[in-house]
Amino acid sequence: MKQLKRFEFPEELRPDFERARRLEWITIAYLISTAITVYLTMGNSQAMKTAWFEDLLSLTPSVSFLIASRIFMKSPNKNFPYGYHRVVSIAYLCSALALFSIGAFLVIDSATTLVKAEHATIGTVVLFGYPIWLGYLMIAAMLWGTFPAMILGQKKLPLAKKLHEKNLYTDAKMNKADWMTAAAAIFGILGIGMGWWWADAVAALVIAVDIVHDGYINLKQAIFDLMDEIPKTVDNQTTDPLLDSIKSKLAGFAWIKDFRIRLREEGHIYLGEGFIVPNQEENLTLLIENAASEIQSLDWRIQEFVIMPVRILPED
Amino acid sequence: MPMKHVILLIVLCLPAWGCDTYPKDPRNTLKTATGGTLRVGYSENPPWVIKTDSVPTGIEANLVKAFAATLKAQVAWHNDTEQNLFEDLEKQKLHLVIAGITDNNPWKKKVGLTRPFVETGEKKHVMAAIQGENAFIVRLERFLHEHEQAINARVQP
Repeated sequence: MKQLKRFEFPEELRPDFERARRLEWITIAYLISTAITVYLTMGNSQAMKTAWFEDLLSLTPSVSFLIASRIFMKSPNKNFPYGYHRVVSIAYLCSALALFSIGAFLVIDSATTLVKAEHATIGTVVLFGYPIWLGYLMIAAMLWGTFPAMILGQKKLPLAKKLHEKNLYTDAKMNKADWMTAAAAIFGILGIGMGWWWADAVAALVIAVDIVHDGYINLKQAIFDLMDEIPKTVDNQTTDPLLDSIKSKLAGFAWIKDFRIRLREEGHIYLGEGFIVPNQEENLTLLIENAASEIQSLDWRIQEFVIMPVRILPED
Repeated sequence: MPMKHVILLIVLCLPAWGCDTYPKDPRNTLKTATGGTLRVGYSENPPWVIKTDSVPTGIEANLVKAFAATLKAQVAWHNDTEQNLFEDLEKQKLHLVIAGITDNNPWKKKVGLTRPFVETGEKKHVMAAIQGENAFIVRLERFLHEHEQAINARVQP
């Protein structure tokens, strides 16, 4: 059976991939630390319980990234002739689902708080022998949830684009969701202190709408990727311009009369076929081999491009 | 939201931190009770609450009397079953309920329990206020904290 070549990131991207892995390890350590801080300060507050639950769920992208990164580079073998690239798409699906779930959960949770008019009770806690309002402590815990998450997310975005790593991109969105909900909780607690019992829920609801939006877009794209949609860019889900480069490359060959191509995404990489109607029979095998390798050298993401000569193009 | 805005808003909120009247009550329980009437529901549970012919006594009842005095408030006592007291507290007909209750009371989602003010073995004793009346609860918890030693002395044999 013909197997794909073993995939590794090109030399120039390897340091970026290592940086991404390091960032994800830092993210896991950081999220665990925020979960512990929130757990220690949550008291009876439902809002803080939600934040805690969310911290745990937001571990999904970083954990799935690290698991996938141990698998996708494995050599293709006789049982997995296409290699293990799809694991990246599966990890992407898990992350996108986690992001969407957090958003949906927050919407439901804050909406029910508002409808039931639940007033959050925040009492005191004794710190160094003096009772202080627990709200201040919650705000301090939440501040730890904002700035580091913001910085981590910012660092992941450019790496995700370079590595064509949609899972990493979703994780950056997750960091954004994390710091925004933490910021919303700070305003919510300050609002509760002002006697506005609804402040917490309203702040959470506003942020939740944004998270649902990010979650929905990525969930949809993750499903479409697994359904072999044509390759889309990491950041805005538009058709990858690489498809046009392939087309213009093929159009440039004098020996090709007409052609049709199709591509699909498998994690970081693209696989595809080109059906061509040749002008000549002479040297055809060699011409095809050369054309295929020229297309594969257009970009590291084009892992394998198979060219099939036909007399008539297949119907669309 | 850019980071600048977050910092700006936090800084704008800072003055509230130093305030005496922070946190506030959504329903003004503390304001209503101060210099006015503190409506307290009680259900007998010795030694915490002991019913008498006039006003109740016991550890918790005496604490409430002392707390009301710090607010210069009269106490209006209501005796009833625990179930009825909690229902009235949820409807804000009462300000406070005492009945020797502990922190794992099933009503805790509908009312605002204080931080435990004394522990006897496994039991963490609390009082119940109206849910979300944070100024009142904070004032009451501070009062209970100040009397922690006296309470312990009464509880321990």
